[in-house]
Amino acid sequence: MNKKAGPVNIAVRLLLTLMYGVPLLWIVLTSFKTSADVFSTQGAWLFRPTTAAYVNAFDGDLLLAMKQSLIIATSTTALVLLVAIPAAYGLARLGGWLTTIALGLLIVLQMVPQTASVIPMFQVFSSWGLLDQTLAVILADTALLIPFAVLLLRPFFRGVPIALEEAASIDGASIPRTFLSIVLPIARNGVATTGTLVFLLSWGEFLYSVNFFLTPGKYPLSALLAQQVSAFGIDWPGLMALAVITSVPILIVFMSTYKQLRDGLTVGAVK
Amino acid sequence: MALTMDDRPTRKAPSAPALRRDKNRGRNRLYFIAPAAVFLAVFSFYPLLQLVRMSVSKVTSITLNSAWAFTGLENLRKGLEGEMPAALGRTAIFVVVVTVLGLVGGLAAAIALRGTGKWSTVLLALMVFVWALPPVVNGSVWKFLLGDAGLFNTVITGLGMDTVPFLYDQGWALMSVAFVNSWAVIPFNALVFRAAILTIPNEVFEAAQLDGARPWQEIKHIMMPAARPTLLVLTVLTVVYAFRSFDFIYVMTYGGPGTATNTLPFLGYIQAFVRYDFGLGAATSVVTVLLVLVMAVIYARSIRREESES
Repeated sequence: MNKKAGPVNIAVRLLLTLMYGVPLLWIVLTSFKTSADVFSTQGAWLFRPTTAAYVNAFDGDLLLAMKQSLIIATSTTALVLLVAIPAAYGLARLGGWLTTIALGLLIVLQMVPQTASVIPMFQVFSSWGLLDQTLAVILADTALLIPFAVLLLRPFFRGVPIALEEAASIDGASIPRTFLSIVLPIARNGVATTGTLVFLLSWGEFLYSVNFFLTPGKYPLSALLAQQVSAFGIDWPGLMALAVITSVPILIVFMSTYKQLRDGLTVGAVK
Repeated sequence: MALTMDDRPTRKAPSAPALRRDKNRGRNRLYFIAPAAVFLAVFSFYPLLQLVRMSVSKVTSITLNSAWAFTGLENLRKGLEGEMPAALGRTAIFVVVVTVLGLVGGLAAAIALRGTGKWSTVLLALMVFVWALPPVVNGSVWKFLLGDAGLFNTVITGLGMDTVPFLYDQGWALMSVAFVNSWAVIPFNALVFRAAILTIPNEVFEAAQLDGARPWQEIKHIMMPAARPTLLVLTVLTVVYAFRSFDFIYVMTYGGPGTATNTLPFLGYIQAFVRYDFGLGAATSVVTVLLVLVMAVIYARSIRREESES
């Protein structure tokens, strides 16, 4: 490989650094400004940092929204993994026309826009009396992410040599036992990658929350942010402070899983 | 996202007893799939069925939970004579812009960041982090950056030009949201292209350098052919991503100004939840689902082709 970076290469990297660095920097900078600094040209870089936006943001409502986000994201992740792991393993080993049909349906489900599924789901949850309950959002998020999780997990289970399972079954292990003690530990990278992504996606999901919760009092952080950004007369420092608060858990998850995410994401697409 | 339909048997030509054993093994594993099948039947397929029923009925927010009057294709007719064609056109433009920018940008980023230097490593991590952030966070900051007092307009007016109404102008708004959407998908595409480029053995590059190949020749004759097999699948994935995208539209323009950023999926949402005409919104959404079926078939075929090529 050409080790020396040419001028074009450096230009592309510089452009990318600006494109992805500046928005991130801007969120953080704006969150430490006053509204007056936001709208003055001189205030773009030179301003007296203030934590007013954070102090204002931190009240009971925010803590409630954090709790809601945490409940929704962790419950969804647990439920998705519980259902998707066995399904992905089953589909990795079964083969035949049934698998082809199942995979086709999963691909279709994964492609259906959320804006289309939210319409009938609103009606269904309404008739079941589940509206305005956190459970409705968890169930909807789980249904949204199961196809994604199964399709992402399946190649990892296919990568487990079948000979290992045969050896275990000769030793007298039952199928569930073989699955739990032989297959699952080998495919743990795939499970971790999928779990991380499902957590990130359900943390950021807001369309179901905005529509299924009838009062903003029960909104998770993402829905709160979506509601405030589409309102008139936006308080930018406050909004950016909320964006930072929403992103901190993502940063923590990201820092602890980046390498695995970087390599695991591309397993299915490239193999 | 990352998915394959690889159904090639893992072992070649099993003997008859082995085949019987495999069949039993398969049936034994059916119950692994049952929970997912039941869950999706209740929470995905049943709602989809309801969507189809709503699309051929008169449903408003008042009659949502009572009996619906069957109106046949009336909703569809109303949509087709109304906003649907224009929304379809906008969707097409949006998808083309996001796909082209997303793929070209992704490939460029993958080539620029293939090395193991510090800058490449940190920049790639930064990009993946931005990709992992909730779209509502990214959408908010871009709404701010592209606003009248935002960074872009500060620079533009600083250069002595007039403020550009990136999000308030009929012509600009769709392009602005499409640009931000491609910005958001480039990191993922870069990761996939990069993985393809990293499979090229180092000797190939060494040989090319011995032959005096220039950097752009390496890109054209070594890296782009290596990325080609993934291109087809990634193209379909990016098209689908652009087609079903609603979060940036929701946050940055909410379909406006006027109807300028109402793509077909977003139009269905607006009709149902803003104008409370659930029947019409359902009819629009059924059309989007039909388009999804077409894309799914193309996707399944492109995966098969990729497998037969590689």
